[in-house]
Amino acid sequence: MNPAANLPTKTLKFVRPQREWRWGIAIYLYLAGMGAGSFIIGMFTHWNGFGFSLPPNVVTLWGIPFELSKAALLWGPILVAIGAPFLILDLGKKLKFYTACLNPRTSWLARGFFILSIFIVVGLIVFTVAVISFQWISHPPVFWRLFEVISVIFAFATAIYTGILLQSVKYVPIWNTPLLPILFLASALSTGSMGIILTTMGYGLLLSQGGSFPQLVNILIKVEQVFILLEAWVFISYLVSKYRLKDQGETSVRLLVAGDLRFLFWGGIVCVGFIFPTVLEYLYSNFPQYPVLLFATGVLLLAGGFFLRLGLLASGIKEQLPMHKLIEMKMNMSALQRRE
Amino acid sequence: MQGKVIVVDHEKCTGCRLCEMVCSVFHTGASNPSRSRIKVVKWESEGFYLPVTCQNCEKPFCVEVCPTKACHQDAENQRVLIDKDKCIGCKTCIVACPFGAPSFDHVERVSIKCDYCDGNPQCVAFCDIKALTYLDVDKVNIPKKREISLKYSELMRQIK
Repeated sequence: MNPAANLPTKTLKFVRPQREWRWGIAIYLYLAGMGAGSFIIGMFTHWNGFGFSLPPNVVTLWGIPFELSKAALLWGPILVAIGAPFLILDLGKKLKFYTACLNPRTSWLARGFFILSIFIVVGLIVFTVAVISFQWISHPPVFWRLFEVISVIFAFATAIYTGILLQSVKYVPIWNTPLLPILFLASALSTGSMGIILTTMGYGLLLSQGGSFPQLVNILIKVEQVFILLEAWVFISYLVSKYRLKDQGETSVRLLVAGDLRFLFWGGIVCVGFIFPTVLEYLYSNFPQYPVLLFATGVLLLAGGFFLRLGLLASGIKEQLPMHKLIEMKMNMSALQRRE
Repeated sequence: MQGKVIVVDHEKCTGCRLCEMVCSVFHTGASNPSRSRIKVVKWESEGFYLPVTCQNCEKPFCVEVCPTKACHQDAENQRVLIDKDKCIGCKTCIVACPFGAPSFDHVERVSIKCDYCDGNPQCVAFCDIKALTYLDVDKVNIPKKREISLKYSELMRQIK
């Protein structure tokens, strides 16, 4: 008999993943990542990074001109602002959330408070100026461009921060790896670009715009496919590297792939997050007359991004203490003696 | 770490959980073991009981990750304490602690952990079989030393 096959961590019998951070934190991480990702992609499109931009469409409300095509691109900070209250709702003392910035020297939660606040403020200013198209504020253009670059830097910081927050909890091996911020950045960019595609499509349907709109979406879809493949590659190497580490890194992966979380993993993350969007996008590239395929891709991909965060949070198992190992050895010895 | 610490002898513990009860009564006034600062981990099949409480690490993770500095080390004895007024209940310390020592009080909505009852730990006072003792840091190993020297003297006697 192989005693190792009987270990409680192998049978996943006594595994207790953390239950403190649950769906509220997952929504927070997801919306922060997706908002930052969509702002990054939107900003590159805004700078004409892909060679095509949306046709200008100015609507005047109460005497103020609104540029709706920019509203479809730069809505990321609003998503982050919607996500942040989910963290506050998860707190024990919700009204004292503003004191969560007192220890930025060591705590990433406090640093994140600053990063997210600055990103929301700066992003909303960029959004407002782009939509209402104030001419006077964007002069001289050099300073304004600098301001936009700063906003993109903070968007990257927000997307990476969601991973670093989990990484900073050192005693959970499946989170404690530099691959996690990279994975969350890749996921933020793929879900963010899908968010941009969906809003651009919705905007196009709403206003029945022609022009360069389909070309822009086609280019964004190609960008988005690259990000999905990148994310899948990072995710696979992340899981493999954690599985090859013994003890709890391996246990977390086993819990995800074959344990209680297997439906969330195979159904939510792998099928909904990676396989279905890839297949549907391939179908859409062959049948572009059915935009509903692209909408389905978008909804599935966005749901997959949320399941990814939820799965990684729910599989967080703390590293074993020597005392745990002692008890495991005792249990195995007694199990062996009983069999003999 | 200076001053006194709670020392656990898991071989003496019977798992009666009286320590949990007196801890919650002393700190909250309610006899509710889920609000206790000390937790007895039980492995019934092995007959193994281990009261777990804060280890007062030298470089505590809970202090590192606390966003409000509610979780701090006091200047005098380097003990890890949680300031109830500053804590916002973000539960990061609970996720970060390798020993699972801080826990979440669902009534007061803050993180709680052992504070040695201001110098007179109730769990130690009420532990009848002395599985818990409150000793000076430099005297923690003396019972173990005495035990091992007794074993040696027994061996020497047998050899003679």
